[in-house]
Amino acid sequence: MTTVLQARSLTKRYGALTAVDDLSLEVCEGEVFGLLGPNGAGKTTSINMICGLLKPDSGQVTIRGKVITNGDASTRARVGVCPQNIVLWGQLTCLEQMQFIGQMYGMRGKAARLRAEKLLEELDLLEKKDQLARTLSGGMQRRLNLAMALVHDPEILVLDEPEAGLDPQSRVMVRDYVKSLARRKTILLTTHNMDEADRMADRVAIMDHGRLLTVDTPEALKRTVGEGDVLEIDLDRGSMEAALATLNPILPQVSATNHTLVIRARGVVEHLSTVLEALHAVSAQPGEVRLRANTLEDVFISLTGRRLRE
Amino acid sequence: MKAWTVFLKTLREMLRDKWILGLTLVFAPFFVFLYWMILSGGSTSYTVLVINKDVGVQRSDGSTFRSGEHILAAIRGITYADGSPLLKATIASDRTEADRILRDRGAAAFILIPEDFSQTLQKLESGDRSITTMITFGGDLSNPYYMVAVNLALTAVDGYIQEVTGQQPLIGYMEEPLGASAARSEFEAYVPASLIFAVIMLIFLASMSVAREIETGTLRRLQLTPISSLEILGGVTGALVLIGVVAITLAFLVAVLCGFHSQGPLWVAILVGAVSSLSVIGLGMVVASFTHTVSQAFIVANFPMAMMMFFSGVIYPLPKVTVFTVGAREIGLYDILPPTHAVVALNKVLTLGAGLEEVVYELAALTILSILYFGIGVWLFKRFHLHSG
Repeated sequence: MTTVLQARSLTKRYGALTAVDDLSLEVCEGEVFGLLGPNGAGKTTSINMICGLLKPDSGQVTIRGKVITNGDASTRARVGVCPQNIVLWGQLTCLEQMQFIGQMYGMRGKAARLRAEKLLEELDLLEKKDQLARTLSGGMQRRLNLAMALVHDPEILVLDEPEAGLDPQSRVMVRDYVKSLARRKTILLTTHNMDEADRMADRVAIMDHGRLLTVDTPEALKRTVGEGDVLEIDLDRGSMEAALATLNPILPQVSATNHTLVIRARGVVEHLSTVLEALHAVSAQPGEVRLRANTLEDVFISLTGRRLRE
Repeated sequence: MKAWTVFLKTLREMLRDKWILGLTLVFAPFFVFLYWMILSGGSTSYTVLVINKDVGVQRSDGSTFRSGEHILAAIRGITYADGSPLLKATIASDRTEADRILRDRGAAAFILIPEDFSQTLQKLESGDRSITTMITFGGDLSNPYYMVAVNLALTAVDGYIQEVTGQQPLIGYMEEPLGASAARSEFEAYVPASLIFAVIMLIFLASMSVAREIETGTLRRLQLTPISSLEILGGVTGALVLIGVVAITLAFLVAVLCGFHSQGPLWVAILVGAVSSLSVIGLGMVVASFTHTVSQAFIVANFPMAMMMFFSGVIYPLPKVTVFTVGAREIGLYDILPPTHAVVALNKVLTLGAGLEEVVYELAALTILSILYFGIGVWLFKRFHLHSG
């Protein structure tokens, strides 16, 4: 696949803090690329550099081989950005602001208007086109925020937490809409929502402390934390240490979090009776037993840890 | 083209922000109206306390000559061109009472007529130059009305003495007013400064409009588009100048409805207002460059606003602090404030009847200041808000 967006050795420092440290990644044409990381990982700084809003201390970003610099407006215009915060002109109607931003991208008034109306229709906002943005509901404002990023029909769409603050209906709608854009546009999305990244992204990059930790498809990433499924057993009584000691020789991947045993294995259900017997032998009494598939969250936690960041 | 689109968008936003727009437009007309309300009964009368200790003197025909009372009448006889009194003479029994009233600013000055005043006048009248007497006057010298009141009162006293004694003054004085200044009512004298208020108030609208774009993040959205800071600020400035011109025109309209007569062409005064608006808006851009929120912009804008109010001669004239000289013209410290030139130009046009050619210097100075402040504003704005560092 053709590489559309490439970041090479991006570094950005704020005094003693290195917000982004030697970040390199490539996003291919038509791909949905997820950028995950805890708060303060450097996602927004990376996005700002990729959009050309922020100049890196070193490294560069190219779009189809052309370097984005502060002055290169035409290259910058190939990117559409949907920021995490709702950024709208409250005193303008939906249509007015979309037409305005379209014209700022060099579109003619009529073309901008037609494009705006099409996007408003796609995002179920056409009925509200003459309503002031400040009078819209939060969900509508979020959808308008997304539409604003698309008005100039950019080749690359950057979505910063696109589902943040949305009600379930709007979330499904936005997710479906972004999915519909996939393949037609190259999409770079940042999110905290692992489920969202898992469902939408073709590839996912996880970063922490400004550094890129891993990049791969969600499936491949999930495999890195263990093959198969996950069996979680809450211990109501008995020693966690004794339980671990008796299970570790039987199964290769057994760990514990608080009062929960976490067992990863291919066909883990087949091992359930063996596990329960072993626990009984050390007088450990199981409580709730859960079976689930590996998730990106497992990958995320295994890479970034459980410690709170903020 | 993009600046034009920004202009239309800014104008649309301002028209919908009715409170801010309303306050900006109404501010100067309201002041004009307020002055008219206060001064509609005529111009200011300066109160003078007369402490009349004169005991009078017996004339040869048996009547009593009481010159102290005549002085009182002479003071009350000084009037404006329209016949309304310039001085209001009030009797005070003694210095103690006078001092109390003066401390409370109930009067501008006092005049103490001595016991022997009539006697002295009578002797002078008969040609006896061997005696003299002393009229005492005084008051709070920091009271801006003091000098006016004392000057006028002493003129009245002098006139009366000359009349009674028949003595001609050694030197005659004649007053020749500039332009139509003598015929101006006090209300009309206040109008130019009121109009400048409309211009000065634009600094808030200008700085807050730009700061709003910063605070809401819409500036970042604009930054992603291929638009320059000049186009953004140019568009915003255009809309603000239009609002400024409307505000000034409204203020003029209210002034005219209240009886104001411009001695010079009104369009020149509006032109002065428009160019002044541009330079004040430029200052507003400079303010916006240093701020990130609307409330910050409001607070910071108070500083240049106060400077313009107090140091440009809008409220009261200040002595010129010459910094350098260009040809025969002295360039003062306060000349960096746009209203300094606007006040002079508007006074020339509205009161002295000047035309365009007589305010060319002020217009040129305002244009230079506009370019200067706007240029600095754009540069700072680019540096602090549109850079990608």
